[in-house]
Amino acid sequence: MNAKQILEILKVLSWIVFIGLCIKTGAMFISFFVSLFINADGASDLYMGLNLSELLAFNQGQYVVMAGLIIFLSGLKAYLFYQVIRIISKLNMANPFNEDIANLIAKLSGISLQIGITAIIINMYAKWLLKQVHFVYEGGGTEFLYLAGILFVIAVIFKRGMEIQAENDLTV
Amino acid sequence: MSLNELSAKVDLTLSNLSILKTGKAKAIRFSTLESICKVLECQPGDILEYQDEEKKHV
Repeated sequence: MNAKQILEILKVLSWIVFIGLCIKTGAMFISFFVSLFINADGASDLYMGLNLSELLAFNQGQYVVMAGLIIFLSGLKAYLFYQVIRIISKLNMANPFNEDIANLIAKLSGISLQIGITAIIINMYAKWLLKQVHFVYEGGGTEFLYLAGILFVIAVIFKRGMEIQAENDLTV
Repeated sequence: MSLNELSAKVDLTLSNLSILKTGKAKAIRFSTLESICKVLECQPGDILEYQDEEKKHV
């Protein structure tokens, strides 16, 4: 299996993950909207069993903040995979080290950092809320901080690759 | 000799020759230098010149 085939498979997988995350974000947003304005029972199953009904019953403001952050996090993840799709689409194996790809990798690093920080904020907020009201929130997402660090290193290496390639292009 | 003729004899693309001619080249392979010297019947010193970067800007 050559690099091109692997890239094609990765592209398809990225599209599947991106669409899945868009569906998740959309479904959560609709359930959230329904729970606020139509039927409060919507909060008992925002998406795949996420139950914030007790939080809604406790305090609507806290519920809006918590659900809003969770939806925002899901949206950020979808955006991350959208950028991954853009990178794979723009990648040209004959001349891979170009400015567009370097900027996209740096952007990926930034988005991963945002996801990691948002996840930490949500986890801390959930921890604080759990002292007052009981609800189930699995947490997670902080691993994106490690991803941000790794991507940052890759972006730096990539920029160096660009310099070397430019020098190679000007070698006769 | 025109650039086209030199390009054909040295087996270097016109764009690479242009890079050499305009001084944008970062490096030159010995094999390329050898080919050019062979075609032009000269020595590397005849076609290469050192210029101090600071004096060039002044």
